[in-house]
Amino acid sequence: MSPDALATTSDTLAWLAVVSYVVAATLFGFEFAYRTRWFGVAGLTVTVAGLAANVGAAVTRGLAVDRVPWGNMYEFSIIVGIITVSGFLVWVARRPEIRPLGVFVLLPAVCAMALGGLVFRVPAGPLVPALNSRWIVIHVAAAITGSSVLCLASVFSILYLVKERLERRQRPPAPPLVAGAARTADRVEVDQAVARHASIWSRLPSADTLDHLAYRTTAFGFPIWTFAIIAGAIWAQAAWGRYWGWDPKETWSFISWTVFAAYLHARATAGWRGRRAAWLSIVGLATLLFNFYAVNTVIVGLHSYGGT
Amino acid sequence: MAVELRPPTARPDRKGSGRPGLGDTLRQAWREYRSMRTALVLLVVLAAASIMGSLFPQEGLSPQRVDLYFADHPALAPVLERLGLFDVFGSAWYMAIYAALLGALVACLVPRTRALVRVLRSRPPHGGDLARYRTRASFTTTAAPEEAMAAARLVLRRSRYRLADRDGELAGEKGFLREAASMLFHVSLLVLLVGLAYGKGYGYRGQAAIVEGETWANARVGYDSFSSGRFFGAGDLAPFQLRLDDFTNSFYPNNTPKEFASQLTALDLDGRELQAQRVAPNRPMTVDGVRIFQSDYGYVPVVRVTDAKGRELLAPQEVLTLRDPATEWSTGAVKVTNATPQVGLELTMFTGLVTAPDCPGGAPFCNDPRLIRPVLVVLAYQGDLQADRAQSVFTLDRSRLEPLGDRPVLLVPGQSRKLANGMTVSFTDLKQYSVLTLARDPGVQVVAVGAGLLLLGLVPSLYVTRRRVWVRAAPDGAGGARVELAGLALQGKPAFEAELARLAEQVQRGTLAPPRQ
Repeated sequence: MSPDALATTSDTLAWLAVVSYVVAATLFGFEFAYRTRWFGVAGLTVTVAGLAANVGAAVTRGLAVDRVPWGNMYEFSIIVGIITVSGFLVWVARRPEIRPLGVFVLLPAVCAMALGGLVFRVPAGPLVPALNSRWIVIHVAAAITGSSVLCLASVFSILYLVKERLERRQRPPAPPLVAGAARTADRVEVDQAVARHASIWSRLPSADTLDHLAYRTTAFGFPIWTFAIIAGAIWAQAAWGRYWGWDPKETWSFISWTVFAAYLHARATAGWRGRRAAWLSIVGLATLLFNFYAVNTVIVGLHSYGGT
Repeated sequence: MAVELRPPTARPDRKGSGRPGLGDTLRQAWREYRSMRTALVLLVVLAAASIMGSLFPQEGLSPQRVDLYFADHPALAPVLERLGLFDVFGSAWYMAIYAALLGALVACLVPRTRALVRVLRSRPPHGGDLARYRTRASFTTTAAPEEAMAAARLVLRRSRYRLADRDGELAGEKGFLREAASMLFHVSLLVLLVGLAYGKGYGYRGQAAIVEGETWANARVGYDSFSSGRFFGAGDLAPFQLRLDDFTNSFYPNNTPKEFASQLTALDLDGRELQAQRVAPNRPMTVDGVRIFQSDYGYVPVVRVTDAKGRELLAPQEVLTLRDPATEWSTGAVKVTNATPQVGLELTMFTGLVTAPDCPGGAPFCNDPRLIRPVLVVLAYQGDLQADRAQSVFTLDRSRLEPLGDRPVLLVPGQSRKLANGMTVSFTDLKQYSVLTLARDPGVQVVAVGAGLLLLGLVPSLYVTRRRVWVRAAPDGAGGARVELAGLALQGKPAFEAELARLAEQVQRGTLAPPRQ
C-alpha cells in the first residue's frame, strides 16, 4: 500500500476503535446497571475487537510515516487508547469480577482518542529534526505507557472514593439520642432515598478492592513513569546538552512524579491511606492531563512541537 | 494542604518527672520531622512550588519572556521578582523546601538503616500461637515429625528464607530486599542531587555562532551567551578552536525542516587538526570534555557599500541575520556610520522569493524555505544612527532616521543597485552561520549513576514483600505427624496466601519422598 492509502486506513481504523469502545462501554454500562452477564461478555468481545482496530491504526500510521507512530499529540492519543484498554484487559484477566468497570475505563479512553482525532489531528508526516532520535522510541513509549497506566490507577481511585463514601453512609446509623416519632419517620424516608439513589453505585466492587486495584496499578505505572523521565533526561543531554532544564514539560512531569510518590507514601501513612491518598491520585491525574493538554498547546517550551 | 504541627503528645518521661521538658519537645519534633507524614507533606508542597515555575516565565529558560512580563505588568513584576517567581528553581524558598525534604530523608534513613541492620543480625522471631494468624495451612503425613521438619527446612531454604530453628518450631523470614531497595532508592536521590550540584558548580554552558569557513576560538569573548557555575574559572575553558567547514540544511517536500548539520573541525591552538565531525541535532561532538550541539542556524549576506563617487564606505561585511523559523526569511541591519548623513539599511533576506499568484492565501509575496532563489530586500534610512548607544546588531534604531527613497531595493547575489542618494549597495556573497551550544557538565556521570540506582531500587521496593513463615510438626498419634504452617505478610497479602499454600504442598511432597542428603 502507498503511504497515503496506509494513512487513510489508519484514520479509518482509529475511528473504528473509537466506535467499538463506545459500544463496549455502553454494554459494560448495561452489565453494571442490570448485572446481566451477557452484556459484559459482549462488551469484552467488542473491546478486544476495538483494541485490534486501535493497534491496527497505530501500526498502519507507523508504516505510513516510516517511523514510530507517536510523534505528535494525535498519535499519542491513539497509543493512550491501546495502553489504557490493554491495562484494563490485563486486570479483567486477573479479576473477572471487575469487568463492568470497563464503562469507567473505556469512556475516558474514548474521550482522549476523540479529542486527539478532532482537535489535534495532523496529517501523516515526518518529524522535525529535533525529534529525530532513537530515544523517541524509548522515552515517548515509556511516557505514554506510564501516564496511561497512572491515569487508569486514578480512575480506580475515583471509583474508590465513590464507593468508600457509600460504604460509610450505609453503615448502620447510630440510634438517635431522643427517639421522636416524626424524626424517626423522616430518618427512614431519608435512608430509603439514599438507598434508592445509591443503588447503582453500590454495585461497584468493595472499597478495599478498588483501593487495592488503584495501588497495584500505580505501583506498576510509577516505575515506568520514573524511567520515562530518566530516558527523557538522557535524550535531553544528547539533544540539548543538559539533562534537566526545568522546561515546562519537564517541570510538570516532575510534579506528576512527586504527586504519585506522595500517593505511594500516603498509602503507608496512618491518617492518609484511603481517602486522602485517593485524592492525591486524582491530583496526580490532573497534573498528567495538564501536562499533556495545556503544556503542549498553551505554555511555550522546548516540547511545544506536540500539537502541530 | 495544612502542615500538621501537632503539640507533642504526652509520653512517659524517662526520668519520671511530671511534665515534658524541652528535650522531650525537641525529641518529639525530631520524630515528627522524620516521619512519613512530614515527607508526604513536603512532597506535596514541592509539587505545588514547582507549579509556580511553570506559571511564570523563568529567567533561566527565556529571559526575553521575563522582560516581556515586566513590560506588560510593570507594577506586579518587581514584586514577583522579589519573591523569586522568575527564578523559582534557584530561589531560596524552593531550595528550602527540597533541603527540608532531603533533611527529612536523611533523618529517616539513619534509624531505618539501624533497624535493618538489627533485624538482619537477629533471628526470625518465635511464632507464638499459630492459630492467631490469618494465613495458615496444615496437613497430616505418614512421616515422623522430625522428618516433616527436615522437609520443611529444605523447602524453606530452597525458597531462600532465613531460618531459625528452636523449640520444635521452624521460623523463616524473607523479603528484606524491599527495605534495602527502598533505602537504595532514597539514597540514590541524594547521589543524584550531589551530581547535579557538582555539575552546576563546576560546569558551564554557552552559545556561539560561527560563519561558514571561519575558525572560532573557545574563549569567553567568543560566546554570545554564557553561563557558568560558581566554581568555574575563566581559565577552565578548554583550549581549542572550531572551524565550520560547511553547513547544510534540507527540507521535506512539504517544506518542513528535515535536517540541518555543521561539518566541524576541531583544532588545537596551533591550528593542528584534532578531530572532524558532522554535528546535527541529536548528534553532538565531544572535544576535550566539552560537548558541542547543533542549536540553530542563519544566513549571512555579505554587503558592500560605496558612495556616489565609487569610494568604499563599507568594505564587504558579513551581516548576521535573524532567521524566523516559521517563514525562513531573515532580517538584519547594516549601519554605515562614516556616511554623512549616516545611512542605515534594513535587510530582509528571502531564501526563495515567491510572488503572487503562487503564494497561499493571496499573499503578495512569500518565501520558499529552500535556498533556491535568494533575494535581499533593502530598505534604506538616513539620519542619526545613534551608534554610540548600545543597540541590537540586528535592527536599526529608527527614532532619528528617515526613509531614503520610497521603495525597497531588491538584490540577488552578485548584484549592485543605487540608492536614492547615489550610494551603491552590493550583495556580493551569501554564507550561512551555525549556532552551536557548548556545554561541560562534570557531574553528569554521578547523576547517571544516581538515576540508575534509583531505578534499581524502585522496583523491588514496590514489589518485594516482607514475610514470615512458621512451621511446626506434632505427632498425630499414629506414627505420622500433623504439620502446621502459618505466615504473615506485611504487603501483598493475596499473593502470599497462594505462596503459603504452595509451600505447604511442597513440604507435604517432601515428607513423602524423604530428602536425599
